[in-house]
Amino acid sequence: MKRQFQLRFRRTRNLVKFLSMVTLILCIGTGFAYSKELPPVKIGAAGPFTGDLSKIGLDALNAIQMAVEEANAEGGIKGRKIEVAIGDDMGDPSKGVLVAEKFAMDKNVLGVVGPMNSATVSAALPAYDRAGLVIISQSATNPDLSERGYRVMHRICPRDDAQGPAAARFIAEEVKAKNVYIIDDKGTYGQGLADQVAAALGPLGVKVTRGQITLEDRDFSPILTRVKATQPDLIYLGLSNPAQAAGLMKQAIGLGLSARFMGGDCMKEKDQLVAGAGGAAEGMYVTAIGKDIAEVPAAREFIKKFEGKYGAMSVFSGQSYEATKILIEALRVAAGDDPAGLTKAKALDAVHSIRDYKGIMGFPIGFDEKGDVLGASIYVYQVENGDFREVKEYPAEV
Amino acid sequence: MEQILAQLPQQVINGLTLGSIYALLALGYSMVYGILRMLNFAHGDVFMVGSLIGWGVLQLFVRGETTLARSGLALVSMVCGAVIVTSALGGTIERFAYRPLQKGSRLTTLISALGTSIILQNVAMLLTQGRAKAYQTELVISSDWAISALGATISATRLIIICVSIALMLAMDYAVTHTMLGKAMRATSQDREAAEYMGIRTQRVISVAFIIGSGLAGIAGVMIGLYYTQVDFMIGFSAGMKAFTAAVLGGIGNIRGAMAGGLVLGLAESLGVLFLAPVYKDVIVFSVLIAVLILRPQGILGKPVDEKV
Repeated sequence: MKRQFQLRFRRTRNLVKFLSMVTLILCIGTGFAYSKELPPVKIGAAGPFTGDLSKIGLDALNAIQMAVEEANAEGGIKGRKIEVAIGDDMGDPSKGVLVAEKFAMDKNVLGVVGPMNSATVSAALPAYDRAGLVIISQSATNPDLSERGYRVMHRICPRDDAQGPAAARFIAEEVKAKNVYIIDDKGTYGQGLADQVAAALGPLGVKVTRGQITLEDRDFSPILTRVKATQPDLIYLGLSNPAQAAGLMKQAIGLGLSARFMGGDCMKEKDQLVAGAGGAAEGMYVTAIGKDIAEVPAAREFIKKFEGKYGAMSVFSGQSYEATKILIEALRVAAGDDPAGLTKAKALDAVHSIRDYKGIMGFPIGFDEKGDVLGASIYVYQVENGDFREVKEYPAEV
Repeated sequence: MEQILAQLPQQVINGLTLGSIYALLALGYSMVYGILRMLNFAHGDVFMVGSLIGWGVLQLFVRGETTLARSGLALVSMVCGAVIVTSALGGTIERFAYRPLQKGSRLTTLISALGTSIILQNVAMLLTQGRAKAYQTELVISSDWAISALGATISATRLIIICVSIALMLAMDYAVTHTMLGKAMRATSQDREAAEYMGIRTQRVISVAFIIGSGLAGIAGVMIGLYYTQVDFMIGFSAGMKAFTAAVLGGIGNIRGAMAGGLVLGLAESLGVLFLAPVYKDVIVFSVLIAVLILRPQGILGKPVDEKV
């Protein structure tokens, strides 16, 4: 009885040995088979996907992923699959550098869409430059970024020194304001844009007074009381957080302050600004660095698909999609007939020489020597019945 | 100079509004410190929870009839909802985060308080997805209801905030000086062991102090929501810091001191802005604190601690 059991046990053990051998061989075999296929090309997505700015970040990420899925359905890059590598910087410059270093270490990451905030781009640029990894930012507007001589820097949004003067022209020529108060939040974007508007308003004969708040402020009564004392016709908000602007406008009503408001491209946000201000945003002007793509015929299909999948678009979804498409297009050009030989350097050259790319933004996109976008316009919108209505267009000249 | 004078009345009103909210928060800090000699750093976050609960209750009214909101019913239910939740939260925190550590060193409870603060903040962040929540103040209190005097606009919201806070502070003051519970609190704060011998259930007194303090923080939370017109998960930290400063300024552990400290702080913040850029308002606040601590280390109304032999 006992012997029989031992025998059977030995037999089972042999069977297990045999099976594991077979599995091992199969694994090695398939391993070889797999290694013949090229590794996927990765596109880095850098932006604030958690934290205060996560709303705009996640909408951008959805658009990037959608563009990649579409490209994969068309065969990727000459047969190589495309993957999105996610780098969450929370809008924090120090985390932006970490994300850049993470992307730089992965040899399959050949291009990056983002980072989104001017401050994060500014901090991370040296790291991207060391790695020779090309970036296309969809929303970093600070002029200084492309003046520092980093060849990897590209962006598809016009700079603040185009947006600021356009806003100033609108204030002087259309609103006909004589006395303007400018409030900024001390940030790279907010103060940078406010500086541009202030500098352009001076020569136009408009009186400018300036004041600052911080990104953490929730109580705007102290500054608004100061604003009220100067009795401005218009208050310009160089802020990056639309929720903060909404609070400020509501508190202004509580103080009996009745001036027009105007803000930059970050303010063009329905949920936090228009709904958040509960009627106080009515009549406010915002400049936008891209056309509302709902008005571009070529973008209709994108909008339908995006909104069907992820719900209402926010301010940078279209630009993120476009930036990703441009990067993929450049990678395809760079790959030529040799997808295996794709390198970061080739990708950088290809992005740099993109000209007349026709996508969903409503104007042919190309980059100049510094990586700034060519042919863009600045649009002025006004909040009307809880929605944004285009009121003016200016060519983006620096 | 002319401009400064023109702004003065408005900035005084701003200061009083903000100061009375700080004072309400400082009460909770001071009460707990007076009795337990511990700094409850989660107090600011209890306040934040109160403001978010107030927002939640307000949303129920926003969806329904707006006339109902205007009738004052919304305001009352917001305050009630916030007070119920924050009192319960305060009691729970005391029971589970501080009471088991009472026997340990004071540093242990301090760290536990910091931990509780971080937990509350992160839970609130997850529940709100990190987004600011807009208070529809204009639905509760019309922005047309305002008095203009001396170039200052005193909206009904501010008036309500100031009146409610002062009423609550007077009530607290009366409770501490004239009721049995107040007597028990004072006894516990003077000497817990002796109070225990006299038959006071000091543990219960401590719980009640936490519950009342947190309830006041809840009311302050709703008021800050109405005043700032939006709240988010981060407001607890800076408000907590200011309230703590107010409590120290007035003499920590002293109830009347906390009220005075809050008002002084609020006024310093908004009057300082007359002369310096608004970005420096926190600098002004903490400079006042340093100045007071150098000249009167025990705080405005605090009594110097006698050296025990």
